[in-house]
Amino acid sequence: MIDEKREKFIIPIGPQHPALKEPGHFEFTVDGEIVTAASVRLGYAHRGIEKATESRNWTQNMYLLERICGICSHIHALAYCLGVEKLAGVSAPPRAQAIRVIVAELERIHSHLMWLGVAAHEAGFDTLFMYSWRDREALMDVLESLTGNRVNYSANLIGGVKFDISTDQRDTILRALETLEERSKHYLSIVTSDMVFLRRTRGIGTTSAAQAEKIGLVGPTARASGVARDVRVDAPYAAYVDFPVKLVLHTVGDLESRFVVRINELFESYRLIREILDHMPEGEITARIPRRIKEGETISRVEAPRGELFYFIKSNGSDMPERIKVRTPTMCNMASVPVLGIGQQLADIPMILAGIDPCFSCNDRTTVIHQGEDGDVWTWERLRQHGIDFYRGQP
Amino acid sequence: MSEILAILVFPGGLFLLAGGMMYEWADRKLIARLQNRVGPRWFQPLADVVKLLVKEEVIPSGVSTFLFVVLPIVALAGALTSALYVPLAGLAPTFSFSGDLIVALYLLSLLTLCTGLAGSNTTDSFSLVGATRTLTQLFSYEAPFLVALLGPAIAAGSWQISEVNAYAQSHWMAFLQPVGFVVALIGLLGKLELPPFDSPEAETEIVAGAMTEYSGRGLALFYLGRKVELMVGLTLVASFYLGGLNNPLEFVLKTLVLLLGMSVLQSLMARLRIDQVVGLWWRYGALLVLGQWLVLMLIGGFTS
Repeated sequence: MIDEKREKFIIPIGPQHPALKEPGHFEFTVDGEIVTAASVRLGYAHRGIEKATESRNWTQNMYLLERICGICSHIHALAYCLGVEKLAGVSAPPRAQAIRVIVAELERIHSHLMWLGVAAHEAGFDTLFMYSWRDREALMDVLESLTGNRVNYSANLIGGVKFDISTDQRDTILRALETLEERSKHYLSIVTSDMVFLRRTRGIGTTSAAQAEKIGLVGPTARASGVARDVRVDAPYAAYVDFPVKLVLHTVGDLESRFVVRINELFESYRLIREILDHMPEGEITARIPRRIKEGETISRVEAPRGELFYFIKSNGSDMPERIKVRTPTMCNMASVPVLGIGQQLADIPMILAGIDPCFSCNDRTTVIHQGEDGDVWTWERLRQHGIDFYRGQP
Repeated sequence: MSEILAILVFPGGLFLLAGGMMYEWADRKLIARLQNRVGPRWFQPLADVVKLLVKEEVIPSGVSTFLFVVLPIVALAGALTSALYVPLAGLAPTFSFSGDLIVALYLLSLLTLCTGLAGSNTTDSFSLVGATRTLTQLFSYEAPFLVALLGPAIAAGSWQISEVNAYAQSHWMAFLQPVGFVVALIGLLGKLELPPFDSPEAETEIVAGAMTEYSGRGLALFYLGRKVELMVGLTLVASFYLGGLNNPLEFVLKTLVLLLGMSVLQSLMARLRIDQVVGLWWRYGALLVLGQWLVLMLIGGFTS
């Protein structure tokens, strides 16, 4: 079957594979069931969004950037709005900041519950998958009733938010949180006590704190390894200044602790939303913002459900940005997959991959179509001409 | 004439295929309801088979075409033939001779063996890993499963299915040999590659395992074989452990109770890794069932 000594036996995963909901390519060299080498190739879902922002005005860009990710859409718009507001020297009113944080935390709950289902599915535990997704619907209904949309909520404006939260809506949120808190407790007990499931998570893909620091992990993935890293705590933004977040940490670093950290973060989100709803600041929800943003550049960092989201925004004083650079948390966490995968069983690879909660299309900021030694830098004109010729079919 | 009818219509052939589909539907529907889903409609398994039969069968390059075409047929034939020796629908088996239990069990294993061979016949890496896992799993559950079914046979003093069935009607083996019953039930899950023993076809790792390169007719035949095996396996375990089967009503009730138990097990557990499957069977399954065997022998020795 295989000439063991010389020929390498490679299991390709992706770009199309049932374990991947988005395109990415992984090659795992296996010896029997044990992975001996691994490589990652990304860039299949590069959409040129960064370049596209340069030909749209500040307001239009908010809608474009919100569509970088379907799961954490609000946090992208939030990072962008906070950055632009900083450049313009305006800050959104306290009530708007509070509503932004409420939506961000609701989004975190929805993202973590979704991840719980996906990760359980990778382990072949479809019952947990179906149950957690059913319960997540309660939250999707809340988001829909608040913003009108289930995914791209479009809650932000530059300088504020689009809607206020009425007393009725407040009660709806609290009711949903009560159900979800009950269910989350149940899920926490499942992932920490189900014997069969624990055999697939405990002691698998263990990342030490030192390793996590070295790879540069962010978000819940890093916090599961005992790295205290959370932008909401380290550099509070929006309403996190007035409503501090408790850092959720776990020190083991295996797959089980990633489950535990994410579910415990759910409880922290429930607590935070309740606290903000109880002490909502009064007042306006929008601030006036100029159409042209002052010249300058800024960095905006927020904590997305998957970890630190980084925006660099540069303005040249016109109504369009000069440059926007986005770095999503998946980019930082992806490096852990080939590192941790080596020496593991092939069956654990999908779990290790899902453990970082990957979002491929969000992280694809570049694509490599030709790998070789001959470096060749094209000018913008040449690239444009190449594109025109390519689509006319005459190179 | 009656023998041809027995093979083509009842209890072989059409009845088996239709019955297998109904049992598969019941299994899927039960799991769906346990997972809070709606589940498929009753004709979904038939629709799946018809769709597959209509589709083009792609024979990949680098395979032995003869084996590629013949293996699914052998697999289905094995499963269908094994049905002739079990008390299907609570009626007496069509064919019966001393020692037919062993023949029936090995005919049932033919499907797994063919799946493994079909996987190793192709050059696709998913298929090869799937085939390795299928055969590894075969070697781990086969012996404990066989021993679990031999328990009632030894108690009955015969290795003929119809005689064990008759003996079981006055002795509820599920209570007399509880360990054997649990091992046989879980062994059936392993035999059918159902969760938590579905690592040979774990879709999140190796797509469809050994079946990855199969499409159209070949895949439909393998699926049919699996459905028939589900029905035959349920019949065998129900007749040995649940007080025998001697009329159609008893058959339907007892097999459905077994199926419910299997569905609950399937939806309760995450997928086991292949090394954990082997460990589970040899460390616990085989030892427990052998221990029970020993106890039975000793009791038998003292009482006789």
